[in-house]
Amino acid sequence: MAKEISGYLKLQIKGGAANPSPPVGPALGSKGLNIMEFCKQFNARSQEKQGQVLPVLITIYTDKSFDFVIKTPPAAVLVMNAAKLKKGSAESNRTKVGSITWDQVKEIAETKLPDLNAFDIQPAMRMVAGTARSMGVKITGDAPWANN
Amino acid sequence: MNFVELHIQTSTDLVEILIAELGNLAFDTFEETDDGLNAYAEEVNFDLEAVNEIIGRYNELGAMTITTKLIPKENWNEEWEKNFHPITVKDQILVRADFHEPQKGFPYEIIIVPKMSFGTGHHDTTSQMLQWQLQTDQKDKTVLDAGTGTGILSIMAGKCGASKILANDIDEWCIDNSQENFSLNECQEVDLRLGDIQVFEGEQVDIILANINKNVLLKEIPFYAKLLKTKGSLILSGFYEHDIPDLEQCLTSAGLKKEAHTVQNNWAAIRCMKAS
Repeated sequence: MAKEISGYLKLQIKGGAANPSPPVGPALGSKGLNIMEFCKQFNARSQEKQGQVLPVLITIYTDKSFDFVIKTPPAAVLVMNAAKLKKGSAESNRTKVGSITWDQVKEIAETKLPDLNAFDIQPAMRMVAGTARSMGVKITGDAPWANN
Repeated sequence: MNFVELHIQTSTDLVEILIAELGNLAFDTFEETDDGLNAYAEEVNFDLEAVNEIIGRYNELGAMTITTKLIPKENWNEEWEKNFHPITVKDQILVRADFHEPQKGFPYEIIIVPKMSFGTGHHDTTSQMLQWQLQTDQKDKTVLDAGTGTGILSIMAGKCGASKILANDIDEWCIDNSQENFSLNECQEVDLRLGDIQVFEGEQVDIILANINKNVLLKEIPFYAKLLKTKGSLILSGFYEHDIPDLEQCLTSAGLKKEAHTVQNNWAAIRCMKAS
């Protein structure tokens, strides 16, 4: 028989950095889960993305066990990494603080595709490009659909 | 120790960007809320000015208001710790809490009150470390327990006759907690230090036990090699079976020879020796 689900918890935790502090500790602990077990497992599974913010969906079962799925980093995080930025633009509409290429936009969109409600790469690329612009990151070159 | 919960009320569009920006500060965990997001950091690392600077930069994209709340550290794992079951390892070791009745027939009995520290024997990594300890001659040896957590491996080393035990942890809570467990197990002679492995600079030991994680191990292995006497043993865990090749490579370049490994539910443990 399938285990009965008692609830879900959606957090964003830096890879390799889960620890029993809030919100992980209080949220899991109050349900009687072993927080230390979650942290050990999350950190081992996310070690290749050390320090990168990763969304994680935790399923909590009534028998006090859990499992979890680690999703792809938010597009904004990937854009900052691609543009090698420490911070976005002070005036994102006017001042551009960095740039990425359309190839990089595509790469980020491909990374994100499994977690997006989009089946095609183009809408995903538009979404990534929108995020980049809001952060003051310029996209260099022509959009791949410009000549279509 | 206190934590800060920073709540930012904002539109959904900005949440992701704020997470990316705050992630570059000391915030390590985020939770999306109905009206924005919560970000969490240790109070000592919380920098309100840096937060305001970020808010200022994105203000023109949408209104944001921030509130902060201090959360004092407490034992959030208490609920689980109140109810955990004793465990046994290879019919040799019994690990139980102080509220469990003692059981006869185990050559080694370890009492652990965990208090939000890692190491109750329930995890496959701890259990494998304890199994390796059963197979390793620790009598009259100097044993170093890197990242001691609850102190469980040090206690086991003491019960196996180690003459000197060194242990460290980067978390103050683990230092207090392991101290408490050493007392419960009458394992008093532990040289316990707060900090990473560097706190043992200059020491020479026979055996190192390290159940941490892959990234920390890769960083600390060269230092373990320095602390080990020739023919000394290093026992590692805290990583998956598929991580073994990476660790093996690191061990080899540090002059350590892998002797054997075990795997339990995907979690692995390695024993190696300092060749010369």
